[in-house]
Amino acid sequence: MSGAIAVWAVELGLFALVTAALLAERPFALGATAAAIALVVVLARAWPRGRDAVAAAFRGNRPAAFAGGAVLALALPFPLRASPYWTFIATMALVYVTIGHGLNLQLGTAGVINLAGAAFAGLGGYTVGLVTVRLGLPPSLALLAGPLVAVAVGALLFIPILKVRGHYLALVTIAFGFIFTILMNNLEFTGGPQGIKNIPALRPFGYAFTSAPRLLGMTLPYHANFYFAALAMAALVTGIAWRLHNSWVGLVLNTLRDDEIAAKCSGVPVARYKLLAFSLGNLAIGLGGAFYAVMVGFVSPPDFDFGYSLIMLSVVILGGLDSIPGVVLGACLLIPLPERFRMLHEYRLLLYGVAIILMLLFRPRGLWPAAVRRYGLREPAAAFGPDGPVANPATAGEAS
Amino acid sequence: MSLFATRDLTVSFGGLTAVDRVGVTLEAGETLGLIGPNGSGKTTFFNAVTGLVPAAGEVTFRDRSLAGLEPHAICREGIARTFQSSRLCLGLSVFDNVLIGMRSQARSGLWDALFRRGRALADVRRSLAQAAHLLGLFNADLVARGFDPVGELPQIDRRRVEICRALAARPHLLLLDEPSAGMSPEETVELMKDLQVVRGEMPGLSIILIEHDMHVIEGVSRQVVAFNYGRKIAEGTFAEVARNDEVREAYLGRGSASRLPTPRPGSTVQE
Repeated sequence: MSGAIAVWAVELGLFALVTAALLAERPFALGATAAAIALVVVLARAWPRGRDAVAAAFRGNRPAAFAGGAVLALALPFPLRASPYWTFIATMALVYVTIGHGLNLQLGTAGVINLAGAAFAGLGGYTVGLVTVRLGLPPSLALLAGPLVAVAVGALLFIPILKVRGHYLALVTIAFGFIFTILMNNLEFTGGPQGIKNIPALRPFGYAFTSAPRLLGMTLPYHANFYFAALAMAALVTGIAWRLHNSWVGLVLNTLRDDEIAAKCSGVPVARYKLLAFSLGNLAIGLGGAFYAVMVGFVSPPDFDFGYSLIMLSVVILGGLDSIPGVVLGACLLIPLPERFRMLHEYRLLLYGVAIILMLLFRPRGLWPAAVRRYGLREPAAAFGPDGPVANPATAGEAS
Repeated sequence: MSLFATRDLTVSFGGLTAVDRVGVTLEAGETLGLIGPNGSGKTTFFNAVTGLVPAAGEVTFRDRSLAGLEPHAICREGIARTFQSSRLCLGLSVFDNVLIGMRSQARSGLWDALFRRGRALADVRRSLAQAAHLLGLFNADLVARGFDPVGELPQIDRRRVEICRALAARPHLLLLDEPSAGMSPEETVELMKDLQVVRGEMPGLSIILIEHDMHVIEGVSRQVVAFNYGRKIAEGTFAEVARNDEVREAYLGRGSASRLPTPRPGSTVQE
């Protein structure tokens, strides 16, 4: 019990630090927050025993840690209520969590390079625009159609992708990304450079997402509606990504990423699994794009240009390739941070570049590197099962 | 009908014929040694049999033709292999590297992974128990290091893991592509002992072994086939092949054939 309380205390402290970092405006408050963050970082480095104790507490109290994290994630819009802007940015971070998991499945888990993440998000977003504005269907339906269109187009693109590897694969996907923005700029029915405006707001069960919610006696900006929806979406996708990673599917995809020939000779139909990873990834990326379109109410070609593909890539690489918590961490750092440093505006991409180079130098496997799959076992010896080593488990397995 | 047979198996790369009308047969439970100088087409022969390179001619296995099958389908027919230069996933754990070999026998898929977690986990753990058992046959220490990345293991243990991965597919035929490559003589002896243990555990298993070291071949296989320039130049017992003039010439060049080890009379072959 004391462990759970320690975990919650740490989480609450981090939460306070994050909200302070987002909201601090005056130089003094900003300086104090920066000093507090620096102190935490220095403490984590210089006091390994304390760090290990905290890590052990988290390991020993998983359910409590998850519950605390969920409560705090739900609570974030309350301290941010005076700032619709930061609520929006927090929502964007969650959209990038969703997209990041999709890209991570392709790039990190299966090694299928996709440098057109923004284009697949754009397919989701534009589908929402076309389905709602041109066809007049409800946006909740469009939210489902968007990802499916991304998957369908991705499957078509997969035919040339299957034949090429490495750098050529990167080139094919870059080309696809450019083709997408050029097409959107020039096609009549997608609105050309103007894009598609006035995408209607979500109205699930008659509740308008444009109305400001009143919760616990506090009025939140209407952006909080999207925050909660994005939180549900990101949590769902994270759960799915986690389950995929810790299963046969994750293992098969990792193997064909590391050595395609070995995978083939171990009985893995490589092409089919690559298509699976690519499609499931595009499903998540398309969902993120569709959600973005519904939230902003507007899509245009520059929203999905190559720069955003690079941001998505940075989220995955910064967090740690093939690492599920890494994607979450990467998105939650890379999306709000540049907003915090708005004075850099045009140089935002430069910041990403510097961050990636620093990462490659100091933490080449990401901020939160992928862990070994343990299938819920603590000790390797537990692999023998409850009966311990048996004479011939191959025949024992068949008998059961 | 023999377990495995090739007839007129031919692999050409442009004008070069790497494997030239090779016919090899193997009965269930037997071990066949494949010898020949570098570039004589031994590995290409394996690649053709496992479907990695297109080949002309016939391959029959358990009374079925393997012509035109994809590598993964050939693995599912019951032929597993190792590679001359290691093809392990160095970043993945020892267990994961062996588990992948059992994928074809797994009973849970994507649906279970997402929605029936308990079933999927139970399925993986069943395979994990078999993987642990297999690894234990070679080296109990490998089980204790089951969750360590394979890249942290010494060379001989990596080779063992790779053989375990191939055995994990429960093959009827195991193709070992020079398992002793890059290992010291002592390690080679150790590995061959391991192979005898495996033979004892899986009496029905047939093995084709590519090997440079004639002493190793002598210890493990009764039947030997010699390749040179993609052709089968000799076939028979170890003693017969080692005595063959063409083989001696291929290995040692003209006139120096006497340096090749002469088989001890009545040397026993462990089967």
